[in-house]
Amino acid sequence: MQITFWGVRGSYPVPGAATVRYGGQTSCVESRSASGECLIVDAGTGMRALGNKLIRESQKPMHYHVLLSHVHWDHIQGLPFFSPAYVPGTKISVYALLTAADELNEVIGGITRHEFFPMPLEAVPANFEFHQVEPGVDFQIGATRVLPIALNHPFGAVGYRIECDQSSWAYVSDTAPFDLVLHKQHFLKGVEPLSDDDKLSLSAMRDALVKRLEGVDTVVYDTHFLPEEYAKFPHYGHSTPDQALEICQAAKVRRLVLYHHAPSHTDEQMDKIAAEYLAKGANVGVEVLTSFEGMTLPIGTPP
Amino acid sequence: MKLRFWGVRGSFAMSGHDFLRYGGNTTAIELVSAAGDRLLIDLGTGATEYAKTLMAAEFGKGQGSLPILLSHTHLDHIQGLPFFTPFFIKGNKIRILGAAPSSGLSLEATLQNQLAPHYSPLNSLENLAADVTIEEIVPGATLQLPGFVVVTAAVPHGSMYTTAYRITADGKTVAHLSDVEYPSPDEPIDIACALAQDCDLLIHDAMHADHEYELRRGWGHSPARAGVVLAERAGARKLALFHHNPDATDDMIDEVVARTSASTAVPVFAAAEGEYLEL
Repeated sequence: MQITFWGVRGSYPVPGAATVRYGGQTSCVESRSASGECLIVDAGTGMRALGNKLIRESQKPMHYHVLLSHVHWDHIQGLPFFSPAYVPGTKISVYALLTAADELNEVIGGITRHEFFPMPLEAVPANFEFHQVEPGVDFQIGATRVLPIALNHPFGAVGYRIECDQSSWAYVSDTAPFDLVLHKQHFLKGVEPLSDDDKLSLSAMRDALVKRLEGVDTVVYDTHFLPEEYAKFPHYGHSTPDQALEICQAAKVRRLVLYHHAPSHTDEQMDKIAAEYLAKGANVGVEVLTSFEGMTLPIGTPP
Repeated sequence: MKLRFWGVRGSFAMSGHDFLRYGGNTTAIELVSAAGDRLLIDLGTGATEYAKTLMAAEFGKGQGSLPILLSHTHLDHIQGLPFFTPFFIKGNKIRILGAAPSSGLSLEATLQNQLAPHYSPLNSLENLAADVTIEEIVPGATLQLPGFVVVTAAVPHGSMYTTAYRITADGKTVAHLSDVEYPSPDEPIDIACALAQDCDLLIHDAMHADHEYELRRGWGHSPARAGVVLAERAGARKLALFHHNPDATDDMIDEVVARTSASTAVPVFAAAEGEYLEL
């Protein structure tokens, strides 16, 4: 298995000279098995370039599987610009957590409503199929086993452990840490006091995440914030590299990949973050890499 | 009047080396009158950059006031809305003016849908701390905004309409016709000619290079030559090619400018992110 990063940015795409090296497009990771099975995790703006590459690879219609962490714009905006969707005969299976809406097809279809996009989803030639995922309920896509994990994000999000070719990687984005704020189905103006039940929910969520990540080779984690930024916006639903490292250490993960970079972080800042956390990770036995657009990682230690 | 392009890209924000000179942000244009009144056209990703300069001044203190004209609500023209930081400061007064989408949904309901809980953590326009008003305009109306007179018109954009703007301040006029396609690029419609008549700067949709257009006829966008024909017909003093194709690299845009300039006596340039232009 190998993974390729097509979009590593959080919130919104940031073009320009300051983001040329790490990339300005939003969340999208391609996972490939040794036999060539392709799984796409999140459909942010990075998905446009991925689609163009897939079209170059194969002119004939294929079946694509898209796992969504949640449906905030930065994780779905690439879908209407995924060129294979315009090849008749293409099949696209979308997997997502149902959160604040009734029907998944309506939520995904909603991004191509007349007001937002010139072509409604029904008119897109690809055949779409929607699957609702539930944290803790595993499922199979071809030779790949997918294990959804509940995350702590406004209106809910789900991470995925992906197993294939005797190895595994996990996608843990977007999520806040599991101490100060419990995200539910309402808007948070700031940090709200936690009830005893909330505290139990948070620790159960954290335990389940650590358990699911145990023995995973590579974990891609939402590390949107630096600690000083997190202190200002703890209710935004994102983590810091330190918080990610703590989870990875607890789960004895081999490698952590920093991901979902804040749009304000320039290449120079990202270089500093990368160097600082590579060193911090080395101290605790976790290899810490910082994702950039175009980065490809083999999953599993080479034999 | 001064003008600055904060986003010039159509459809999709493009990052990377190939898009550095013209810029990869989706559409946002700032106009400033001699007296310092400001106006923004569209809330593409370019608006998030503009927001930073606003926040460094009175908007950071909740003392800013800004009208924003929307051409339409396709995502590349509003995707910067949830990240336009002046919205998050109490006291700022921001008016969003635009026509109701052709679907029949109101402008306010459309923007609420953009911020619906599944799509955005903001959840609702009510959670914006600033004093934000959504004002539906009826294309054809003339708007009196502080420092600017704005004439509006509905122009065809594929199966729908966008709102084009003729904006006058300090005796200078800018015509903004983006996301527009005429029945033929060689026959601009009367309403477009009237809007651009004798303007100092015509900003026009140039999504397609002329040779690419035939394959994309009916998609709602213009080839570069449509702006030229309109500029000549309407007596515009200058033409800015705008709403660049996401696949158009800097070098490709250079070529389009060279070819377009050679075809007309009207001075032509490609809109680029960057400096203020004095009209």
